[in-house]
Amino acid sequence: MDAIHDLGGMQGFGPIPIATGDKDFAALADWEKRMWGLARSGVAQGVTIDWFRHGLERMVPSDYLSFAYFNKWCANYLMLMLDHGSITLEDVKRGHLLAKEAEAAPKSIDDVLASNAQANISFEGACDTPPAFAAGDAVRTLRIPPPGAHTRLPRYARGVEGRILAHHGAHAVPERGAEGKKDYQALYTVAFSAADLWGPEADPRDDVTLDLWEAYLVPA
Amino acid sequence: MATFDSENAAHLHRELHSHLPSDPALRVKTLESLAIERGLVAPQTVDAWVEAYSEHIGPKRGAQVVARAWLDADFHARLLEDAAEAIKDLGFQGSATGHLKAVANTDRQHNMVVCTLCSCYPFSILGMSPSWYKSAEYRARAVREPRQVLSEFGVALADDVAVRVWDSTAELRYLVVPQRPAGTQGWSEEALAAIVTRNSMIGTQRDLPLEAS
Repeated sequence: MDAIHDLGGMQGFGPIPIATGDKDFAALADWEKRMWGLARSGVAQGVTIDWFRHGLERMVPSDYLSFAYFNKWCANYLMLMLDHGSITLEDVKRGHLLAKEAEAAPKSIDDVLASNAQANISFEGACDTPPAFAAGDAVRTLRIPPPGAHTRLPRYARGVEGRILAHHGAHAVPERGAEGKKDYQALYTVAFSAADLWGPEADPRDDVTLDLWEAYLVPA
Repeated sequence: MATFDSENAAHLHRELHSHLPSDPALRVKTLESLAIERGLVAPQTVDAWVEAYSEHIGPKRGAQVVARAWLDADFHARLLEDAAEAIKDLGFQGSATGHLKAVANTDRQHNMVVCTLCSCYPFSILGMSPSWYKSAEYRARAVREPRQVLSEFGVALADDVAVRVWDSTAELRYLVVPQRPAGTQGWSEEALAAIVTRNSMIGTQRDLPLEAS
């Protein structure tokens, strides 16, 4: 959906907040570090990467633009836990559960480093259809993305002609992942000239690449 | 189980908007308390993840990858061919590196990475992303006016340098391999890694000074 998260190319923003936004992880506020630790711990159950992303996309738009990054994550994790049924809105308002469950077993630093080393998961899968495009092919993106509440075809790159740089095999389709389903489809890196994306104001030397699923593309 | 219902997600977000305290520290405290009481996580596990990203998982990993690529032509070739596999030499594989792609700067091309739709980032080799990377300003402007963005980071490009911006819209994650600066012949991998900055591996820095910052 064309929601608030789709920021690429939007105009009106000011300078990049470099000086205020350059802290190392260790220098972040405690609540930010806790939020990241909770996220890595997997407190939202039954979540796919695209349902997680779509959850962020469905935030109250003004909150999406004004909240600090990990404050958005906090809202989204609470939403995901509510949606899953792990907690209720009354629990959130109370800040505690009425009946506590058995404590989870604590993990050590070695445990979590081992978990991290196994988190390099692949999103590739089987697809019966051979890829429709090959490197060098000219393609055009759709003006209207395929059906589904969640898409990874940004507004700024719709209805534009580009060139296939690489084929990456079949990857999990985000539209279906956000619905809790698994489907795999050819994924390509596609290069677009800056001029085709932004018009004559763009620098003719430059280009932008996006990683796009086959359903987003037609032959040019 | 999750409903995967987009409208339910939006409804729940509106409820949270109305009922949660505005202080983010209080909100995260609520989330942590509920997760602990539900038996989903132990507080020590959260501590361990904080320690992991404070002490172990950070841009020093990426810097070592780059330094090795500068020194070892075979590793360099394997890194550009399949970075997800190559970084296993160093044991740096992990979150968001399953489809890692390394892109090398050249005299004629500068590479820069963004995620316009969220803030995708190769955590296991670069650690936590800087806040500016996640800002609306960077996400909106990097694809449209990369040269102005680069100039805000102090990057001046020669006239014959093209800019390629990689928007991470799928599960590929990008690592920019900056150019090895002149005057580093004979340097050790450790000495080289010390001058490779996080921003140079995102592409918001191009030339690496010989003094570690």
